[in-house]
Amino acid sequence: MIDKRLFRLPGTKKLLLMLAGLTLLQAFVILFQGKYLAEALVNSWEQKPLQSIIKPMILFAIVFMLRHIFTLINTKIVEGYASKTSEQIRSQLLEKVYTSGPEMISDVGSGNLVTSSLDGIDLIENYFKLIFTKLMDMCLIPPVLLIYIYMQNIASGITLTIIVPLVILFMIILGLAAQAKADSQYKQYTILSNHFLDALRGLPTLKMLGLSKRYAKNIYTVSDEYRRRTMNTLRIAILSTFALDWLTTLGIAILAVFLGLGLINNSFPLFPALVTLILAPEYFLPLRNFSNDYHATLNGKNALGSIFEILDRPTTTKENQLRDFNWDNNSQITIDNLKFSYQGTAQNEVSLDIDSLKLSGYQKIGVIGKSGSGKTTLIRTIGGFIKPDSAEIAIDNQKLDSFKQKNWQNKLTFLPQSPYLFSASIAENIAFYRPDATKDQIESAAKSAGLLEFIATLKDGFNTKIGEGGRGISGGQQQRIMLARAFLADDRHVLIFDEPTAHLDIETEYALKQPMEELFKNHLVIFATHRLHWIKEMDYVIVMDNGQIAEQGTPEELSRHNGAFEQLITNMRGEQM
Amino acid sequence: MNFFKTFKHDSWVKPYIKQYKGLLITALLLGLFTSFCAAALMFTSGYTIDKAATHPVNILLIYVPILLTRAFGIGRPVFKYLERLKSHNWVLRVTSDLRTRLYKTLESDATFFNEHHKTGDIMGLLSEDISHLQNLYLRTIFPAVISYLLTIIASIALGVFNPSFGFFVFLLLFIEVFLVPLFSVSVESARRAYQKEVKSDLYVQLTDNILGVDDWIISGRKSDFQNLTSQNIQNLDQSKNKSKAFRRNRDLLLQLIFAAIVVCFLIFTNLTMTNNQEQANFVSAVVLAIFPLSDSLIPVSQGFEEWPLYKDSINRLNTLKPVKNQLPEQVNLPAADFKELNLEHVSFEYNTDSPILIKDFSQTITRGEKLALLGPSGIGKTTILQLILGDLTPTKGQITINNLGIDQIQVNREKIFSVLNQKPFLFNTTLMNNVRLGNENRSDSEVKKALERVGLKKLVESLPDKYETLVGENGSRFSGGEQERIALARILLQDAPIVLLDEPTVGLDPITENDLLETIFEVLKNKTIIWVTHHLQGVKHVDKVVFINDESIEMQGSPQELYKTNQHFKELYQMDQGL
Repeated sequence: MIDKRLFRLPGTKKLLLMLAGLTLLQAFVILFQGKYLAEALVNSWEQKPLQSIIKPMILFAIVFMLRHIFTLINTKIVEGYASKTSEQIRSQLLEKVYTSGPEMISDVGSGNLVTSSLDGIDLIENYFKLIFTKLMDMCLIPPVLLIYIYMQNIASGITLTIIVPLVILFMIILGLAAQAKADSQYKQYTILSNHFLDALRGLPTLKMLGLSKRYAKNIYTVSDEYRRRTMNTLRIAILSTFALDWLTTLGIAILAVFLGLGLINNSFPLFPALVTLILAPEYFLPLRNFSNDYHATLNGKNALGSIFEILDRPTTTKENQLRDFNWDNNSQITIDNLKFSYQGTAQNEVSLDIDSLKLSGYQKIGVIGKSGSGKTTLIRTIGGFIKPDSAEIAIDNQKLDSFKQKNWQNKLTFLPQSPYLFSASIAENIAFYRPDATKDQIESAAKSAGLLEFIATLKDGFNTKIGEGGRGISGGQQQRIMLARAFLADDRHVLIFDEPTAHLDIETEYALKQPMEELFKNHLVIFATHRLHWIKEMDYVIVMDNGQIAEQGTPEELSRHNGAFEQLITNMRGEQM
Repeated sequence: MNFFKTFKHDSWVKPYIKQYKGLLITALLLGLFTSFCAAALMFTSGYTIDKAATHPVNILLIYVPILLTRAFGIGRPVFKYLERLKSHNWVLRVTSDLRTRLYKTLESDATFFNEHHKTGDIMGLLSEDISHLQNLYLRTIFPAVISYLLTIIASIALGVFNPSFGFFVFLLLFIEVFLVPLFSVSVESARRAYQKEVKSDLYVQLTDNILGVDDWIISGRKSDFQNLTSQNIQNLDQSKNKSKAFRRNRDLLLQLIFAAIVVCFLIFTNLTMTNNQEQANFVSAVVLAIFPLSDSLIPVSQGFEEWPLYKDSINRLNTLKPVKNQLPEQVNLPAADFKELNLEHVSFEYNTDSPILIKDFSQTITRGEKLALLGPSGIGKTTILQLILGDLTPTKGQITINNLGIDQIQVNREKIFSVLNQKPFLFNTTLMNNVRLGNENRSDSEVKKALERVGLKKLVESLPDKYETLVGENGSRFSGGEQERIALARILLQDAPIVLLDEPTVGLDPITENDLLETIFEVLKNKTIIWVTHHLQGVKHVDKVVFINDESIEMQGSPQELYKTNQHFKELYQMDQGL
């Protein structure tokens, strides 16, 4: 119902105190509302003139308005808290993405994170909005009213006391029955409910297969089947609401009958009977409100739970182990006994187990291997995106636990298989590592990457918006923008490339080769690829297999004996023409 | 007012209200009974107590009201339960009709997919629109209609006793259920639209944050990362706070009006019903009966508030129009008769403003020939395939099969053409069902045979559910290469003479790619193949390679011949193979 971790959010305790005060006030206002209304009605019943009811009527109107003004204040406070707190959670989440982002994204999934930080936060805000008020109402208002009713009429008090546990019991029993029914149908159910979208997305395929016309009938049949099943489940699912309704209205009816009989027997006057009757619906109202919003709170609670799980992930990296240094032709890295395995959703990915590896100076190092051999994991570890479980790493003789070091990452340029372009102008994308670059510098980097021709065709030139909402540009131009970014960041002397040309057509790749070779000069290059022609440009090759280094050496050395390198190349090439 | 404008030319909401009329009326009546019982329960309870307080000599005098109290006490939850079932049933029935209609509309428009596949998940949007319509009925229309009926009935009932008081109450209720909701829609519409816009910007920025996190970290721009979304979050919060404040004040106003109604009733009953005790016994009954009505009246405004969301959905659906295909008289071309496919001086542009995509392209493909089509991305390779299929029509030139125009054989196109895409679509059902879509008349053993030929037998039989394995959403249960093989098995069952391959190996690693290409060309060795590809892996399988660029055909010929005679081809081939 309520997550204990909620209480460690700032302001929660203060909020609860304020709410408790307000709700208590509300309870008394409700009580007086009933009292004055009953007074007015009793006077009318006694056939007294209008003057006699004016005072109770005005008091009734005042407390009625007070009640709703308190509700307004209550909502205002809770909404304020909800939006402030959920925003805090969102910024904590973003902070977390930055500090332990890439590793976490591979565990949690990027789509999942975007949804959590947007829709999830909305659900949480709604949850905050509902949970505190409804719980507080349920805990405070009925008891206050009940005490008053006991004071007026003990029998009515007892009736109302007995009904509540009955209601809760029924709701639990029926709720469980509905859950069991829903669970048993769940799998079939999701398939049926997604069937329509599936059919729409598959429409081109159905058309190719000549089935699309006939399939329309299927849409109706399946949709109707879905309706039938939904109705079957619904019949039971809304039984719990029915039980709540039934018991509360029946409670009022029974109360009315008891009171009527009591009045006939002359055991009490009209006023206590009437006030009890008026307050009975108010007594049940908080319970009904709570059950109405139960599902909404459940979704919010789950969203909050999954975000708390993300926030609770450890972020204990020593980012500042490495003193600032310059990468030059004499620099070197040694990696020994590096071990890493994935957690979470990526558990099936290959684990890394590197015995010994040395990178130095302006070497060009190719990393090859079949897919799933750990190429990407290795270079992402070197890029500092993945923190190894254990490793002995030294950069220029400084010992480190991982490559997640500020002073290492600011020497890097990273170019992934599918580059991510930000929703911004081409110039801003090029200047991403150096936002303060001048227009001339950006243009000259674009020139080196061979981008000028393409940019000349654009109406807005360098200011053309690209990325998600912007103009769609081809894979080749995307990679050129990334290359321009690398050219511009000429103070970064380490290039890490992850299959940058895998998606490109052969002629585009051919055209890109020349600027890339230009870029390679005076850089340490770590280049994962399965495009074989790049190997000729490399000084050194690492052949990965099953998370381990199967072979390493210069291409000449490796091609001299029939080892992992030669086998891999033969398999990749396939049969020659 | 945009509210009425939206419905003026609407064909997705209005016509369906007339459907399943009996069920709809039942649902609305049940809703009305629910509110009636709630009011009547308080009415009879109030009367019972008042009457009992007069100490009637005979208990039988309050027997009828007691009985009625119980009846209404049970009636309210029962009617409410039934109302929820009936209204859902009606909405789901209408949904089935709406879905069928949406499907048929999209089905009629083959080019729809070409224009829209770039603009994100249009299918997801449309399918959500249908769910929005469901909510429009359940959350807005039904409660509003019920509250209007209640308003009218209550006012008339009062009017019978006292016409002027009836009219006065009608006015107050009219403000409560009509004017205030309408006012809140007009105030909130613009704000909601703005919030939606900011939210979609925010979505883009959060995506930039999360998908671009590698670059953010390397760049060291931590504060930029954190500040990227702050402006939009602030704007969104400001606007949302305004909405919230508006909502709070509006609800207070609604309660104020309701309080006024109660006070009017108190005065009215005191003035007119205190002439004798029998009349006075009805005072509490009448006053208490109005309280439960607030449950139905006050939420009307909330239902209206969601209008901007529905409006977008209704508008989007209404812009879809079924396309009348004007095809010439259709000819049934038996698959076995296919001899030759001819593209003669074909040019194509999407519309007069866009650049010419394909310029004067000619090609002849004879039965059994295998052709590879290469060229930089965005050059219209896929468009050529769509032209061949007849989904697009050339702006100049013509495409024929055995001298029949391609538009003349659309009636049984699936007998002539099969297509294997970059991302073949697998339906979220069993493997068996997916493959059998290729030809529904084939037996289980023939389906299994096809899966064996594409090299999946071993894998499939190692799965716990074997051929009945669910492929998952978009085939997610299987890897990219496996998905291609499943689609290939489907094509084998379809058994059409021409197979169009649209970059089926993009994104696969070279070893998987090689294996897949070997299988494709092995099982399709008797077919005519037009293969759009982005590099030269497996090019040895084809008879002819055609390189196109944005001007014309750059080079063409058999791969072996080109390798010997064309320097550029040789360089590309060597690069591709790392020779």
